[in-house]
This record gives sequence, C-alpha cells and structure tokens, in this order.
Amino acid sequence: DDAVPKQKIEIDNKVGDIALERIRDTIKLDPSLPWTETLTVTYPETITVDVDDDLNRELAFYKQALHGAQTAKSLAAKHNFPFTRPSDYFAEMVKSDSHMERIRQRLLDESASIKRSE
Amino acid sequence: EQETEVPQAKRIRNKQRVLLLSSRGINHRMRHFMNDLEALLPHTKKDSKLDSKNHLNLLPELADLNNCNNALYFEARRHEDLYMWAAKTPNGPSIKLHVQNVHTMDELKMTGNCLKGSRGLLSFDKAFDETEWGRLTKEVFTHIFGVPATARKAKPFIDHILTFSILDNKIWFRNYQIVEKDPLQPNGPPQMSLVEIGPRFVLTPIRIFEGAFNGATVYSNPEFVSPAAVRSLIRREKGEKYGNRKH
Repeated sequence: DDAVPKQKIEIDNKVGDIALERIRDTIKLDPSLPWTETLTVTYPETITVDVDDDLNRELAFYKQALHGAQTAKSLAAKHNFPFTRPSDYFAEMVKSDSHMERIRQRLLDESASIKRSE
Repeated sequence: EQETEVPQAKRIRNKQRVLLLSSRGINHRMRHFMNDLEALLPHTKKDSKLDSKNHLNLLPELADLNNCNNALYFEARRHEDLYMWAAKTPNGPSIKLHVQNVHTMDELKMTGNCLKGSRGLLSFDKAFDETEWGRLTKEVFTHIFGVPATARKAKPFIDHILTFSILDNKIWFRNYQIVEKDPLQPNGPPQMSLVEIGPRFVLTPIRIFEGAFNGATVYSNPEFVSPAAVRSLIRREKGEKYGNRKH
C-alpha cells in the first residue's frame, strides 16, 4: 500500500493566489532593468518525464541548461556583454586543483578497469 | 562657451545581498552543501549558526545588520531533515522548502568546474510561470541565486548555468559548466556542451509566508507530507507486518 497519511488543508490556495500576486508586485525587480543585471532565461518548455527514469530526467535538465546557455550567449552578444572567458584569464576555481586531480584519477581508474575486464 | 550637461541616464542596478546561515544540528553533508552555495554565490554573507530555532524573528534584524536584503536559512531537524527558508528581508515574503537528495560538489562524479565567484546564468522552466506560487518563487530565487554584477568577487565572464526545473511538484536544481570548445577539436567550430559541476538538490515547497520569517500563510502545499510522518508510517507498516505474522 502507498504510504500517504491524511492530508490537511488549511488555506484556500485560490484565495492565496491573489495575495501571492500582490506580494510579487511589491518585490518585483524594475522591468527596465537590463538583462545583464539578472542573467535569467526561461525555458519555453515544461519538463514531463518519468521522475524515476534517471537517464531521461537528467537529459531533460541538460537540454534545458543547454537551451539556456545558447539563448544567453545570443542575448549577451546583443547586449555587448562579455560571455566567453579568454583562454589567458586565470583565477581561483570553485574546485581546487587537487580536487580536479582526484576526479581525473578516478576517471583514469574507471577506464583502466573497463579495459582490464575486456 | 556653453556647458552642455548631458543628463546621464542613471543606471539601474540589481542590488542583492544574501545572508546565509544555518541552525544548530546540521550534519557534514548539509555543511558541505552550504559551503558549495557560498562558493557559487559571491554575494552571500555567511553568518554563524543561529542559536534558537524558535526565534526566527531575529533573522531579519541580522540580515539588516549585515546589509543584506535576502536571507537563506537552513534549518536542520532531527539531524537528518533539512529545510530551507528563502526570504526577502525585512518585508517578506518567505518560502519554506524541504531539501532532499543533496549531492555536493565534493563528489567525484561531477567533473565540471567554474571560476569562483563568476556570475551564473539562471534558467527556469516554463512550469514556474504557470502557477502563482511558481511565479513568486521564480522572483525570489532570481534575487537570491542571481549574482549581481556589482558583487565584490564577481568575474566578468560567464562559465556556468544554474537550472531550476519543476518536476513532480518539486524544484530540481542542477549546475553545469558551459564548455564552448570541443575538447577533441580545439580549433574546430565552437560547439557548446555542458559538464555538471554540482551541487544537486531537490526542493519541495511547503509554505509561503507573507512576512520575513513570519506573517500569514499565503500558500501551503497540500501534497507535502513531513519526512517524520513518512518515516513513522513506514515503521508502523513494518510493525503491522510483524503483528499479522505473529497472530
């Protein structure tokens, strides 16, 4: 049997919607704000895949991100906004070199074990 | 000579700063997860753990002291459940969400990397625009997860994208590195691809309050079942199974 305990309903979400809209109006960013200030893009599709299907779910997220990145790149060109990092620009990364080395080592180990089993 | 003063259009800026803190009782995974967010969002100000879980009304004040107009508060319960409050301070609203399936950047499976403090793109799927709570959540998340251009450690280039997608009434978060060069053909035509950086997590909205950590409930998720209730039900079923077998 599915384990779903009794649900309680306290607020009429129809009534709440009006309040939500009013609240959103009070915090909304200035609509004349240039895109480069928020860098937000919207994916024109909803994601409808089986939640438990890991592969297709991740693929759907990947597609959303790729679409977003491509849209953003053309928007950036329109706004004269630098997008691509020049290859001679170096700065601290979120993952340290030693961490990336461990990731590389793991990938090498994995491919070695695949080769061994062949 | 006539001085002509050109009325310079005042540039409007998106000014956001986020207070990031947790309650007591977070475990190592939650702590690493918070560190990940801090690394990705240079406009956050991390503060020490909040002593009391019953005095959330201190938070808007604390945010104000740190010049923050947003707060991201992580509340750990029973050392295993994690709740996230995303709030606009001092006037609200605040969104309470349940955090599940956290994978941090430390995991070796995610091979992407990005500049520390670079501004990430934000991508929301269409489902956010279809409900009123979705639209409000999108607005608040844009403030909190979007790195403003004025952030002190922000970098002038874009190399990663944060995606928020609604699936199964939950909000799924992913973070990808944007790779514009094909690693096999570095001199060939640029072909965009993505590599996941992490972290990963899933958020279930629970409630939206009108104020900052207080005020009337303006949305409550009818489908949300607290993780403690789920666990107790599983235990009870297990117990019943044993009882039935015994008799």
